[in-house]
Amino acid sequence: MTNTQNTMKTGYAAKRQAANIAIYIILTVMVIVWLFPIVWLILRSFSADGAYNAIFPSNWTFDNYIRLFNDYDAAGNPISQEDMPFPYGTWILNTFIVAVCSAVVSTLIILMISYAFSRLRFKSRKALLNCGLILGMFPGFMSMAATYSIMEIFGLKQSLVGLVIVYSAGAGLGYQVSKGFFDTIPRSLDEAAKIDGATRNQIFWVIILPLSKPIIVYTALTTFLSPWADYIFVSYFMKANKENWTVAVGLYNMLDNEHIGRYFTVFCAGAVLIAIPITILFIIMQRFYVAGVTGGAVKG
Amino acid sequence: MDFLDYVQLSTGQRFVYKLKSFFLGIPGAISKLFTIIGHFFASFFGMIVNGFKGYGSRFANGDGGTKLSYIIMGAGNILHKQIGKGLIFLAAEVAYFAFLFGFGMNYVSEIFCNNVNIPVTDPNTGTVAYAAYNGVIGNESPVYQDNEFGVPELLNSDTLDDSNKILLFSVLTLIVTIAFIAIYVANTKSAYASQKIVESGKKPVGLVAELKTFLDERFHVTLLSIPTVLLLIFTVLPIVYTIFIAFTNYDKNHQPPGKLYWWVGFDNFATVFYSNPLTSQTFGRILLWTIIWAVFATFSNYILGIVLALMINKKGIKFKGFWRTMFVITAAVPQFVTLLVMRILLDDKGAINNMLGTNIPFLTDTTGLWPYVTVILVNMWVGIPYTMLISSGLLMNIPEDLYESARIDGANAFQQFTKITFPYIFFVTTPYLITSFVGNINNFNVIYFLTAGGPVADGYDRSGRTDLLVTWLYKLTINNSDFNLAAVIGILVFVICAAGSLITFNMSKASKNEEEFS
Amino acid sequence: MVRKTKRVLALALTAMMATSALAGCAGGSDGGTQNSSQAPTGNNSATTSGGDVVSDVSVVDVDSDSVKQKLISAIASEAAKTNNEIKITLWCSSDDRSFEKKLVEDFKKEYASDQYTLDVDVNSSYGEDKAGGKIIESPGDGADVFNMADDQISTLVTAGAIAKVGDIFKGNVVANNTEDSVSACTVNGTTYAYPKTSDNGYFMYYDKRVFGDDEVGNLDEMIKKASENGKSVYLNVTGPWYMTGFFFTAGCDITYDVTTDTQVATFNTPEGLKAAKAICHISESEGKGFSGTPGTLGDNAYVQQGFEDGTLAAAVIGTWEGPVIKAAIGEENVGAAKLPTVLMDGKQEQLHSFGGYKVVGVNTHSQYPTTSHILAYYLTKESSQLSRYNERGLIPTNNKALEDETVNADPARKAIQEQAPYAHQQGTSVGGTYWAVNPQTVGTEAISNKGNLSDDKLNEILKNIVTQIDSAKKS
Repeated sequence: MTNTQNTMKTGYAAKRQAANIAIYIILTVMVIVWLFPIVWLILRSFSADGAYNAIFPSNWTFDNYIRLFNDYDAAGNPISQEDMPFPYGTWILNTFIVAVCSAVVSTLIILMISYAFSRLRFKSRKALLNCGLILGMFPGFMSMAATYSIMEIFGLKQSLVGLVIVYSAGAGLGYQVSKGFFDTIPRSLDEAAKIDGATRNQIFWVIILPLSKPIIVYTALTTFLSPWADYIFVSYFMKANKENWTVAVGLYNMLDNEHIGRYFTVFCAGAVLIAIPITILFIIMQRFYVAGVTGGAVKG
Repeated sequence: MDFLDYVQLSTGQRFVYKLKSFFLGIPGAISKLFTIIGHFFASFFGMIVNGFKGYGSRFANGDGGTKLSYIIMGAGNILHKQIGKGLIFLAAEVAYFAFLFGFGMNYVSEIFCNNVNIPVTDPNTGTVAYAAYNGVIGNESPVYQDNEFGVPELLNSDTLDDSNKILLFSVLTLIVTIAFIAIYVANTKSAYASQKIVESGKKPVGLVAELKTFLDERFHVTLLSIPTVLLLIFTVLPIVYTIFIAFTNYDKNHQPPGKLYWWVGFDNFATVFYSNPLTSQTFGRILLWTIIWAVFATFSNYILGIVLALMINKKGIKFKGFWRTMFVITAAVPQFVTLLVMRILLDDKGAINNMLGTNIPFLTDTTGLWPYVTVILVNMWVGIPYTMLISSGLLMNIPEDLYESARIDGANAFQQFTKITFPYIFFVTTPYLITSFVGNINNFNVIYFLTAGGPVADGYDRSGRTDLLVTWLYKLTINNSDFNLAAVIGILVFVICAAGSLITFNMSKASKNEEEFS
Repeated sequence: MVRKTKRVLALALTAMMATSALAGCAGGSDGGTQNSSQAPTGNNSATTSGGDVVSDVSVVDVDSDSVKQKLISAIASEAAKTNNEIKITLWCSSDDRSFEKKLVEDFKKEYASDQYTLDVDVNSSYGEDKAGGKIIESPGDGADVFNMADDQISTLVTAGAIAKVGDIFKGNVVANNTEDSVSACTVNGTTYAYPKTSDNGYFMYYDKRVFGDDEVGNLDEMIKKASENGKSVYLNVTGPWYMTGFFFTAGCDITYDVTTDTQVATFNTPEGLKAAKAICHISESEGKGFSGTPGTLGDNAYVQQGFEDGTLAAAVIGTWEGPVIKAAIGEENVGAAKLPTVLMDGKQEQLHSFGGYKVVGVNTHSQYPTTSHILAYYLTKESSQLSRYNERGLIPTNNKALEDETVNADPARKAIQEQAPYAHQQGTSVGGTYWAVNPQTVGTEAISNKGNLSDDKLNEILKNIVTQIDSAKKS
């Protein structure tokens, strides 16, 4: 009796052990597959040769990173800062400014909308919610040309300010996640405050916002990250105004037929440089991200 | 089949049932879509009718001030001692008419011009004749004249018409007018209300006190006004404009400001659906692939992401944080970077083929399934870490005693998964699933950066085998300047997205989203 | 009472809308439009009908002092409209930017005056392949003066976005540049652009260590030899630009008429089938001594990579890759030749090609048209073309510059000259719709199927291409 129990136990343990080993193997293989492109990108960014079909550099160099900020032409002559074909530093700065500004404005707008829809009850609420849903289903860049013409009237075409405004305006439709979060905050808090004579304005600032740290961080994070990856709209909006391009447009241009020969490894270096801070930021903030997407089911 | 029948089914039967109900749900969802659009318009017009309710009776019962405010806005309020409010109404009226006559009318008046001479070429002889067209947007084309050096100078740069601007600003004027009418009706109401207060002998509320309500009872107005204005200008206006474009001939041959374009009715819809066989064939193929793609991309990421999360979070697996972080790194690197890297890696002669010593046409195969398989696999590479991240967070949330009692009841690991883990995760992530389905129909980035729609193959009109409707739309706009066809496809994408998300909504009764369409 | 007011109000509103609507449209329609020339040719007295290049224009010595003074005063009068400040934008490719900037500095000195300040922004956002399209996308935001490939001219003319060459410069342009280069810039008798370089066509670069100079005449034999050396010959049959050469060779009728925007490409004929079968024939060697596609990365990257890692022994490409190939295998090993012959319908036939030019155009929406034309002229005159050759290695179009000794000795120049009898003008052969409809499907399908396509399938592919071209032209 005891004997069989023992063998059963060891059998069960052995099975679990085997399962775990299998999982370790699967995970290792998957991690290799998942990290391979990233590692390849990093390796290429240190390569002195411009080959795109090799893996390890034939010669290691830091040159590609230097060329992002101090480029030279095909003959090896240095190019002055104002003549840089790919002013990477300027683009990073542009993207950073746009990302920060649009994160601040968008977060504010999203919080305002979601608070109104979640905590306040008014006549046209349902209709507006439906409108928001419907508008969100039109492909975004369908409206690029029109947006450009509108910005032209305001004198903001091809400007960073214009870009921030467009991003912030568009962010308004992304209220669902934070509305979901506000829905989870007990309404009794509002009621109690109302009895104490607080206005809805005060409730918003004093009671709700301090409780919403995870969703504020989530919203700010997602709105901060999106300008770093947006190529389509910026390339249409900024046109030839290279000084105002963002990093995504610039990097994409390094890979076109005209430039890829000399700039492929520089592209890799540029990609690695922006990926590092964003990755770190994302890893630090991931719990907020999860909390956001799951609508507060997982607390940040 | 009710719930009791359903739980008695085996897993396989349940799957079949779900699948069956999914496809059976499609016609229902589409008809529901139209019902909803009907509802939407009904409620919209209901709102208008409601807004005008009492418009006449207020006038009939109104005193001089109220009546005056039907023409001069704010007059009623001013005469009823709400001077600040009245002035605001008056200012709104002045501003609107200044806008209308200083700006809007210039464009609205040219939205449908007749007797404009448009050059028409006879395809056989090549002769150019000028024909009068009805319904041209704008009427003054550029006029050039040589200067003393024989250099053509644009004579009418200030007065020449741009069909784009005329259409766009006409729509803007329309939106502003609708907003103004709303304010106008509010003005008559306010005038009448203030009249009643004065008649009852009370003192009307002062401006300051009235403004205070915007921080309390009417706080939603304060919160929503700025976002609404931004949305109206940058989302609604462009969308309405684009919808109008679908009914014009704004294409590569009619490019403002060099040329004008005009209204053509439903011609563009005809082109997409039947009058040009190649275009409609392409539309059919791309539509089919878009749907296949959306289904595969959404569910492959979803299911495998959960499986990955389960593996990492399995009891006895060490270094959970390490594994998670490894996958999160790929999710964190900006998508356009990783996708471009993938494109280069998967090139015919790229690093992967080089390493394996093969010649697999990952992205260039014009006959086999390779491009489709590749984009779905790469999309999994991009998307699985996200699902893993989210479901990891959720897994840790499931109370351990649920499993405990399940184990006591003799449930094995698989049963625990199907009875506890999956229902819980599915319940919480349904909204996420729906957004990612709609997102995948519109998934521009993965296709554009990875394959650019390619490979170009026989039987595809200005597109390639992996083009989605949205990337085709982009190509038609940016590469071919056929804005009219692109607008038609944009409208169709919208219809598909709306139908798609409705089907998913219907499927997941677990949806806890309260703002499900009513 | 209520009713009445409402009605009055409604009536008033309707009347208001109606009158202003009528007023708005009537304003311009009385007469003006009939005269407005849709294509910005202006009143060009020198234009003759037909596609011939006009040769009877008087040549004005633009560089003489008297004319220069006149031009300077013209600039001054344009500058007067904007506070005596002129700012024009020039688009060029990023490789050329530093050189073009130098030229622009010289231009500013040449036409300097104390009456105005002249500023030229040299912008390299869009290279010569994209400039035309970007100008069409929104002419108002486009550069005043732009460098582009000559095949974009017809589309620009259709869109009314390119201005004809100013009469005062036209005599010069016509007299001093090669006849072909001027006709490439000429649409229906009107010259629209200033020819700049004559190397926007393709020929073949080869590795002299693999091929002797007498071994580059026959593609099949080249493929065989390359294969024996473990290398490949590259000819991008999946690119429409290169692929079309086969159809020219077979004698297909490929023409474009800009006035009627009519593209003819008789691919669905027995000749078209011959060309398609020739493509299939070489595609059979794909991966075995022949390489017919650059994959997803484009020609330039592929050719550079191929010569650098030694997998390519020869490549059909243009002068722009010359420096890269020289750097990769050493200048002494680089040979250049006209295209080889291909096996077509059982016979070896000389492969045809597109010949082309890079040109400078002026935007019709430029605020300073005269200044822009002067700049365009300056950038393309003899001295500029010569220094462009010396510094950038780009072959001139100017007759005198072409007589220069170093230019004449250039192997690439020789190869272009040898190919010239088989090179077809892009401007008269193809318009924008041709590129847009992806005619290369025949090439992509051939490569993907390793040349293994039935005649029926090929006919179907060719028929689809023609259908697409026909349906794209509807206006």
